[in-house]
Amino acid sequence: MEVSFALTGKDYVIVAADTTAARSIVKMKTDQDKIKILSPHLLMAYSGEPGDTLQFAEYVERNIRLYQIRNLYALSPSAAASWIRRSLAESLRSRNSYAVNLLVGGFDTTTQEPHLYWIDYLGTMTEIPFGAHGYGSYFALSLLDRYHDPDASLEEGLATLKRCIDEVSKRLVVSPDRYKVKVVDKDGVREVEL
Amino acid sequence: MEYNGGSVVAMVGKDCVAIACDLRLGNQALGVSSNFPKIFPITDRIYLGMSGLATDLETLRERFRFRVNMYTIKEEREIEPQTFAHLVSSTLYEHRFGPYFIEPVIAGLSKTPSGDLKPFIAAADLIGCLNFAKDFVVSGTASAKIYGLAEALWEPDLEPEDLFETISQTLMNAVDRDAFSGWGCLVHVLTKDKVITRTLKSRMD
Amino acid sequence: MANANGGAYSYSLTVFSPSGKLVQIEHALAAVAQGTTSLGIKASNGIVIATEKKASSILVDDSMLDKVAVVCPNIGIVYSGMGPDFRVLIGKARKSAQAYWKMYGEYPPTRVLTQELAAVMQQATQSGGVRPYGVSLLVAGWDITRGPTLHQVDPSGSFWAWKASAIGKNMVNAKTFLEKRYNDDISLEDAIHTALLTLKEGFEGQMTEKTIEIGIITVPSAGELEEEKPGERPKPTFRKLSEEEVRDYLAL
Repeated sequence: MEVSFALTGKDYVIVAADTTAARSIVKMKTDQDKIKILSPHLLMAYSGEPGDTLQFAEYVERNIRLYQIRNLYALSPSAAASWIRRSLAESLRSRNSYAVNLLVGGFDTTTQEPHLYWIDYLGTMTEIPFGAHGYGSYFALSLLDRYHDPDASLEEGLATLKRCIDEVSKRLVVSPDRYKVKVVDKDGVREVEL
Repeated sequence: MEYNGGSVVAMVGKDCVAIACDLRLGNQALGVSSNFPKIFPITDRIYLGMSGLATDLETLRERFRFRVNMYTIKEEREIEPQTFAHLVSSTLYEHRFGPYFIEPVIAGLSKTPSGDLKPFIAAADLIGCLNFAKDFVVSGTASAKIYGLAEALWEPDLEPEDLFETISQTLMNAVDRDAFSGWGCLVHVLTKDKVITRTLKSRMD
Repeated sequence: MANANGGAYSYSLTVFSPSGKLVQIEHALAAVAQGTTSLGIKASNGIVIATEKKASSILVDDSMLDKVAVVCPNIGIVYSGMGPDFRVLIGKARKSAQAYWKMYGEYPPTRVLTQELAAVMQQATQSGGVRPYGVSLLVAGWDITRGPTLHQVDPSGSFWAWKASAIGKNMVNAKTFLEKRYNDDISLEDAIHTALLTLKEGFEGQMTEKTIEIGIITVPSAGELEEEKPGERPKPTFRKLSEEEVRDYLAL
């Protein structure tokens, strides 16, 4: 029962994902990091088919890094998201495709704006103010509809995230109990404790 | 076609054309985005609308941008709506046995040999079978409802503002009866000297 | 790895000489210069392309000889140089025109087709295991954006647009002749006569409908264009003159 959320606020993006690694009904691990830091100002939360997720996330991570080494600057969030989307869309029509859902959040240092992209395993992509993947989305999206504020401070943003996590804990049958939360803003990427 | 939802419609007016879409992106019944336009400018006087599977919509948008850019550079001229319609059809038919799940709608103003501009609309199915209609073309999850409203509201030789009203009422009332479309609309009206673009608010349920 | 354009060890035959020339291309031009004369003239209301054809023996059935070729309804080509090479190119040109029609629902503009042919000819100067094409081409065509245009393509793959040009055996003389005769508002009828007069210079033997081949582009009128319906077969703008028509022009 994987859950991941992300929301934008005033000049930042918060990305959160549960930390459970489960096989069937068994929890194997409760401290897995499912949010990759792709570049100094780019985060990606990934979920989906176990195996595919890490394989694809590392593929993306290394390619984004390669771009940075070759060109001496990192891809902008929109360019990175487009590249990731295309990789998934091409994968979808290949013989064995990746089943990975993503939330890509970044801070564009050229325009000083935060960006958040919702991408699913089909290669569907849309830029959003907030979003979620997994069963959590059925509970969180309506809360975010009500409480999200694009101009909210980081504290307010984290409080909104807390509401979502609490709602999932309360209502979802098999809910994860631990989350990892990362923030990206003009100063780069950092992990925060809720 | 019902996976992400969405609808597009185009109509002919007097020396003008209009094309409109809804703004919803869904994941089956769950709404994901309320700002997902399905119409894109190809040239100054061609607009392409697509409904169907959202991943293919983006892939095709990239493909058409590539092909039209190559055409413009190679031929040193802008592509005509007629020609672009054929390009769309060929591109879709290339994938006859593993199609892109997209039904495109094209609206544009085409140059006549004498130099003036003539309204042009066309639509195709997911494997590129073209339909050059003289009045209106539709596609998407609300297409059946759009047909009904368009049939009732559309009349020949509408002026740009009247055409705007007609296409807006047609689309808005059609998507309100469709669970997979809605969440706002986007309308473009192409006239000889300008393009009118308006975003419409609609029911958010 | 004996393919035409790949293989790590298949080097191009066309290599630079120390002086910076590609002698293979110059040899190809020499082959063109041995070919019979062809010429093209752009008139105010059309284009004429014409050539002299020579049968190697009186026993040859000359109805088989074809030097002016139709590529698509709006484009025709004439050549000087090696016949077999021309047939290969015309095959590629026709295929390219049909491929364009399949993609866009209309025939290619003259320049696009010329470019396509020029690219094929250029490839032959850079690929391993092939030789350059031993022909120069005169491509005459009409399209909606540029109207009537006349292009020349050489074995190197370079091409230019001309008002009038000549290729083959007598090209230098013919060009000088054309320079004297040409003016911008010449009519198609006059251009056809000028073409015949130019060919007459240095013509060996008798000029007859059997030894002359002519193709013409006629510019459609505004009315004709307006009448054309999308999806319908376009009215051809290029056609070859029949033997009777050539005979009539020669008689004047």
